[in-house]
Amino acid sequence: MNRQPVSNLSSRAAARPALWLVALGAGAMIALSACAVRVAAPPAPPDTAAPPAAQATQAPAARAEEARPATTLRYAKAFTVEQRAGYTLLTVLKPWRGAKQTFRYALIPRGAPAPADADDALVIETPVERVVAVNTTHLPYLDRLEVTDRLVGVGDPKRINTPSVVARIEAGQIASVGRNTDLDVERVIDLQPDMVTTLGLGNPEKDNYPALLQAGLKPVLIADFMEDTPLGRAEWIKFMALFFHREAQAAALFDQIVERYERMAAITREVSQRPTVFMGFDDDGKWHMPGAKSYLARYVLDAGGDYLWADLDSNSRVPLSFEEVLDRAAQADVWLNQSQSWTSLAQVLQADERYNKFRAVQQGYVFNNNARLNPTGGNDYNESGHANPDVVLADLIAILHPELLPDHTLVYYHRLK
Amino acid sequence: MNPSLSEYADATPATADGDAPPASASVPASQRDWTRRRAVWRALALSGLAALALIAFAFSLAVGSVVIPLDQALIIVSGGEPARATWADIVRDFRLPKALTAALAGSALAVSGAHMQTLFRNPLASPSTLGVNAGASLGVAIVALTSAYTSLGAPWLRAAADSLIALDIGRALAAGLGAAGVMVLLLAAARNMDTLTLLVLGVMVGYATNALVTLLIYFAVSEQMQAYVLWTFGSFSNVTWSQLPILASLVALGLLISLGLMKTLNALLLGETYARSMGVSVQRSRTLAIVCASLLAGSVTAFCGPVAFLGVATPHLCRGLLGTSDHRLILPASALMGAVLALAADVIAQMPGRAGVLPLNAVTAFIGAPVVIWVITRRRRAGGFAL
Repeated sequence: MNRQPVSNLSSRAAARPALWLVALGAGAMIALSACAVRVAAPPAPPDTAAPPAAQATQAPAARAEEARPATTLRYAKAFTVEQRAGYTLLTVLKPWRGAKQTFRYALIPRGAPAPADADDALVIETPVERVVAVNTTHLPYLDRLEVTDRLVGVGDPKRINTPSVVARIEAGQIASVGRNTDLDVERVIDLQPDMVTTLGLGNPEKDNYPALLQAGLKPVLIADFMEDTPLGRAEWIKFMALFFHREAQAAALFDQIVERYERMAAITREVSQRPTVFMGFDDDGKWHMPGAKSYLARYVLDAGGDYLWADLDSNSRVPLSFEEVLDRAAQADVWLNQSQSWTSLAQVLQADERYNKFRAVQQGYVFNNNARLNPTGGNDYNESGHANPDVVLADLIAILHPELLPDHTLVYYHRLK
Repeated sequence: MNPSLSEYADATPATADGDAPPASASVPASQRDWTRRRAVWRALALSGLAALALIAFAFSLAVGSVVIPLDQALIIVSGGEPARATWADIVRDFRLPKALTAALAGSALAVSGAHMQTLFRNPLASPSTLGVNAGASLGVAIVALTSAYTSLGAPWLRAAADSLIALDIGRALAAGLGAAGVMVLLLAAARNMDTLTLLVLGVMVGYATNALVTLLIYFAVSEQMQAYVLWTFGSFSNVTWSQLPILASLVALGLLISLGLMKTLNALLLGETYARSMGVSVQRSRTLAIVCASLLAGSVTAFCGPVAFLGVATPHLCRGLLGTSDHRLILPASALMGAVLALAADVIAQMPGRAGVLPLNAVTAFIGAPVVIWVITRRRRAGGFAL
């Protein structure tokens, strides 16, 4: 995606011989920084390199709208932010696993004319006044940005934990629109939202954004789950903030999260003993083990654990067989993240008595992330875990190295007894 | 469609070239030699099948995603200590119960299929023809899809599902209850219906229960649907040592009943009128055959999911191999052949040396579909769908 503006720039510059050299230099700089962003992700996303190119695109960089700081990304890889003439261009590079297309959103000030050069981008007027959030993971971002008063609809109210949203649901201020294929497009239309946050899986039968688009609505795909690092996931608060003009707040919140996360990760880097860890469970013959490049493996590493599948070259989950897992993890110290429906060791052994072959089960070092369930079973880890990687990391350090965080009480995790 | 005894008793393509004599008294000397050779071939084929079953069993102990040498596997089974401690757990607690389950399930489905094909005098009848599988599916669907968190309206259904879960009733029991429900329904109907009507009834019960399952799927949330869909793929690996005795005793009971039914089934092959004239109580034998087939198919489905095609294909393979429809040969042969095929299908599904497992039903259908096609084309050339 970063390459497209580059080619645009050089073709236009070619038409103006006087600016040839200037533009060539600018183009080279952009190309360089674009490469750098992909390789090392320094604090220099494409938009900071924009000012030198201002002459070519005649974009007044300081068109002082409000005191809104430019958004810079430090960890997120699945989207980019570009400040363009009169609008902000958001590009979701990886909307789902194996996606061949990207999604672009042009954020314009309310009442401003639609930008001429945004081609396929979906134009959205900001700040957004009415929003429908189909998936629960979007709610913690809205809560942190203090914009839940603009929330008019959610996918499934029964699964929600975020207190400010629950309060508004109980007050009858938020409608239920249904999730996935159950999404009731007519009800969404009736709510007249400025945007609908949803997610895509690349499955035409399950994705609801095409139906929303067809209805003339503005679906925005939130792809925080496509980030391979915990901090990359949390950085999506900046994506959400742009729609509400809350960039400053998002940057401050995210910096605090990074500061806390990095401080804790730094402590565990020194540990001499790393407990061995395995994850997942046998789901009718398939044990889905997170790959070494997944955010879950990263959590274990940052929490001072020794992940037993550090050689599994994948950033998602890989199906293994029960016997393979037993062969490698029989003597492992800790077992994390099992079935969402297990809250006790008895349930684990009832599902399959052979789990007692693991030393972690025999010694009771089994921790699951479903400590916080709402009355109808909605798991807060799945809802706000993305937004609070520092809390998840603290939980994991308290599990793997209790001596390092003696005062921490587990939030999302609990020990199965 | 009421052919003579000789046609039916030995009318398989392998021997249908006019040299098939009735297995009765006063056989000419020239044919006695032929009969002896055939008997030798059948004995050989049966013992060959038994040996094959043993080989397949040993193979399935040695093969899996973790590579364990065959000698190590045999050491473990005979109670010795292997080179690596976890191998003992893997062979004893995973592969051994899985291999036993596969063998039992294959035998049960094949014998049950043979019963159904004779009872309905239809070469495509299978354990699922009775609707027993559909009943089991409904039981599982109710438990898997209507847990406490569904958005499904019907409160009584949710309450029922909750109480099932609260009682620690697993999928297997739910499936068993569903299958038994359908069986009772069929038995009640079988009293005053002819066989063809019963066949239609079984198929219709299947459609109706499937419709209910579809409705449940429609209202379920995706995670629950996943659990149900995985169950429909079929698997031998979910049966543990504590469940195996239940499955084994149910299958053993079913196979015992079918031993007693051999002669009755032979009579039924000739049509109900003929059977009656031979002094067989059609009503009673039909009831017994239904109970037996439902018991076999229902218990397997309860523990392993709806395993497809083994029930249809295996009896045909055995008839082709032995050149007879005599149940005294076909039932034991089906039991052995079913075990071999189930073990082989499971080994293939495990994809030796690779991570991951293929859906069992995909593998059995790959074996089963060509067999059924082969049977149909051969029968047409031989002039009809004889069993």
